[in-house]
Amino acid sequence: MDVLSSLAHGFSVALQPFNLLACFAGVFVGTLIGVLPGIGPVTAMALLLPITLSAPPEAGIIMMAGIYYGSMYGGSTTSILVNIPGEAASVVTCLDGHEMAKQGRAGPALGIAALGSFFAGTVAIVALMLVAPTLANWALKFGPAEYFSLMVLGLTLLSFLTHGSMAKALLMATVGLVLGLVGTDAITAEERLTFGRLELLDGLSIVPVVMGLFGVAEILSNLERKVSREVVKARIGSLWPSREDWNASKGPMARGTLLGFFVGTLPGGGAVISSFASYALEKRLSKHPERFGKGAIEGVAGPEAANNAAAGGAFIPLLTLGIPPNVILALLLGAFIIHGLQPGPLLMVQSPDVFWGIVASMYIGNIMLLVLNMPLIGMWVQVLKVPYPLLFPLILMFCIVGVFSSSAAVFDVFVMVLFGALGYVMRKFGYEPAPLVLAFVLGPLLENNLRKALILSQGDFMTFIERPISGACLLFAVLMLVVPLLPTLARRREAIALDQE
Amino acid sequence: MEEQTKGLGNAELWGGIAWLAFGLFIAWEGWAQGLGELREPGSGFAVFWCGVIMIGLSASIIAGAVAHGGPPLASLWAETRWPKVLLVMALLLVFGFFFEQIGFIPCSLILLFVLMRFIDPVPWWQAVVVSFGAVLGVWLLLSKLLKIQLPAGVLAPWLG
Repeated sequence: MDVLSSLAHGFSVALQPFNLLACFAGVFVGTLIGVLPGIGPVTAMALLLPITLSAPPEAGIIMMAGIYYGSMYGGSTTSILVNIPGEAASVVTCLDGHEMAKQGRAGPALGIAALGSFFAGTVAIVALMLVAPTLANWALKFGPAEYFSLMVLGLTLLSFLTHGSMAKALLMATVGLVLGLVGTDAITAEERLTFGRLELLDGLSIVPVVMGLFGVAEILSNLERKVSREVVKARIGSLWPSREDWNASKGPMARGTLLGFFVGTLPGGGAVISSFASYALEKRLSKHPERFGKGAIEGVAGPEAANNAAAGGAFIPLLTLGIPPNVILALLLGAFIIHGLQPGPLLMVQSPDVFWGIVASMYIGNIMLLVLNMPLIGMWVQVLKVPYPLLFPLILMFCIVGVFSSSAAVFDVFVMVLFGALGYVMRKFGYEPAPLVLAFVLGPLLENNLRKALILSQGDFMTFIERPISGACLLFAVLMLVVPLLPTLARRREAIALDQE
Repeated sequence: MEEQTKGLGNAELWGGIAWLAFGLFIAWEGWAQGLGELREPGSGFAVFWCGVIMIGLSASIIAGAVAHGGPPLASLWAETRWPKVLLVMALLLVFGFFFEQIGFIPCSLILLFVLMRFIDPVPWWQAVVVSFGAVLGVWLLLSKLLKIQLPAGVLAPWLG
């Protein structure tokens, strides 16, 4: 099947009424959680994962994917109108977007953010469609050693790019690996780290762990200080950008799309880094860099295009290699596994409905998002006015319900509370949860491939170095580990290191 | 410049010590599980080596804390509303203990009302309306529409 006929098949899946509804639900919830500060895409996806279990796999995955890229759109609204990013990828949009809003230009800022997101999202899907089959064919040559080394590289790169001490980030990744190993060993069927609890025989479930570390911990951190939110009161006006705005935004949008897509495909890369990189690039290329931070529309167009392109690009390593490049996609990997699917090079052969259905649904979802974000902007402004003291109890209740409904076990509610407390204390001490969650999801896969590679090579560790792809991945990983030891490069790392969530 | 200390109140030091203890425990568990041989690694192989890596990393954090110091433990919670954090944690634990016996609807109503009235108080009528609306809405959506079971508890005779 060539790409176009595969895509046509994908549209026949995505346009089925139930899948359309799932796509709409996903992008709507994604926009909503993007708009609301205090709840990110990770929490929302973990929250809705149990609901997708009763749906067919393609509908469930379409909805989860919609939440991810939908949140990229919604995050800009809060950044522009309230100066508080709805999610981390929109932090940089605050700088110029909110300044534009204060100058009475909220309309064009919101408009260019939505249109830039639409353009970048669409280009990223086309690129995904073209690149994925080639990469998947190449990945068929991967053996356990290559997969193991690629996962090590992904975890090291994420730790490298995580804010703060790299030792702490690597420690979190190792803790995540250990937590992922709890339960029955897949090879020997022996119990590990279960402490006699029957609930732990199948391992820790991803939903309570993620909900605790991101949902509950975020709320506890927010409760520590009273935060006031003031929505810009000036009239939003026309959302359609003027000719001058378009001219100023064309270049940043195109560059942001390219940059975002490339960064998004890298293990450890993602929407946050790409939006900051795009902002820095536009400021450097601008003839008037002094305008940045004072309401330059290029400072909105570039980063918004970049974070949406990155969201699209991030699907490539997940769908073709089965390796999530960031924590949000790690959760999507969890959703695939729960639905009995294994993302990787064989996905598009064994489950074309799912693979091409997701790709086609992303086209449809992007159009839905444009409609949701342009004419319905007034509704999102009203959502922004819900006070946090009313909002956080509801989020907590949704977390509890989400966790309980995923397993029907109150044990998981306690696991969520435990990880909520752990996540809160970890933030206090400067330990980021993102590497932990990615490693938690990758843990069983990583161990499985390590053991398989050692069995196949009769216990020869050189197999990881002698095989070219595996050796190259490990070499890059070692370089990442060495960089923080060199003062000049360590400073550069600090400059680009960002929190992934 | 953030306040730093090299004394025993150093938060970095205590963080490192906690993870070191955890790393030692994990390495011991892996060892006890059995490492197997390189040509056929056992169940404890990966667990043990993860523990060893944790020990190394936490030791480097401790060394850094001793050499460069870190923020005082007390400063992490200075000028914060930490009692509210503790209260929310306690409420969630109490909720977990009674969730199945008392049931989703009464438990959630109480939790929402208490959170809305005692953490950052909103007017009581808002707390009542939002609590009832949210709990009944979620119950109808999950139990009736999506057929996801939530504990009925004391309301079982009426909810069926």
